[in-house]
Amino acid sequence: MARMKFLCDAERCIECNGCVTACKNEHEVPWGVNRRRVVTLDDGVPGEKSISVACMHCTDAPCAAVCPVDCFYTTDDGVVLHDKDLCIGCGYCFYACPFGAPQFPQKEAFGVRGKMDKCTFCAGGPEEDNSAAEREKYGRNRIAEGKLPLCAEMCSTKALLAGDGDMVADIYRDRITKRGGRPETWGWETAYKKSDA
Amino acid sequence: MTKSIMKTSRALAVAMVVGIASLSSTGCTERSAVTWHEPGVYKGGDDPLLAKQKDSQQIAALQERLVMGQSDR
Repeated sequence: MARMKFLCDAERCIECNGCVTACKNEHEVPWGVNRRRVVTLDDGVPGEKSISVACMHCTDAPCAAVCPVDCFYTTDDGVVLHDKDLCIGCGYCFYACPFGAPQFPQKEAFGVRGKMDKCTFCAGGPEEDNSAAEREKYGRNRIAEGKLPLCAEMCSTKALLAGDGDMVADIYRDRITKRGGRPETWGWETAYKKSDA
Repeated sequence: MTKSIMKTSRALAVAMVVGIASLSSTGCTERSAVTWHEPGVYKGGDDPLLAKQKDSQQIAALQERLVMGQSDR
């Protein structure tokens, strides 16, 4: 069985935020919640790098380990999902997650949190596939339709890859083989090109 | 008289040194007991997608989509 994985190629990401917009639009994510976001290191400095980050669907998910109501489950292909009917919005998963994936909509005054929301790898949740209830709680279930996450499919530079982890690794390995092991965004090889001799 | 004052001040000094040393060493020890969290058993509803994911046609469709849409051309 394949394990679904995301991989963001930092050499290709141009910080266009197309993935963020695609995700928000596809799942009608409310204001204040970003299931995916683009993080830029050394912003404005030559050699800056951006990566698109969301739930990484960990093999040994810390969010599931700390959940006091056991609302997390992992599908056979490694996608970590949760049941919003069980979630009590305690925020433990937010503190456990190294990627800051769990998000909490502010529902009422005084900072009262709603149910946790996170990237579902476009696989919905424990409701009838693409039913109104599933769409309202978790967004669209593209996996049930035989489609992959929209963030990756919409990526204009194909920086963000999503799918069977082995195949994603193969695609990335091919790229590295073609472009060399080190980044060529800056440096002598870019300025003067490689000589054919 | 002077002797007793000297004795008292020496005792106070020793007590202060011991106090400062014990205070400064507070929190320097490492706890060896690590709290492990094991995920519990999922208590939510059933997801019909789980059955669909076992279908070989569904798996093939997703793999084909990955090659078609995300591999380099």
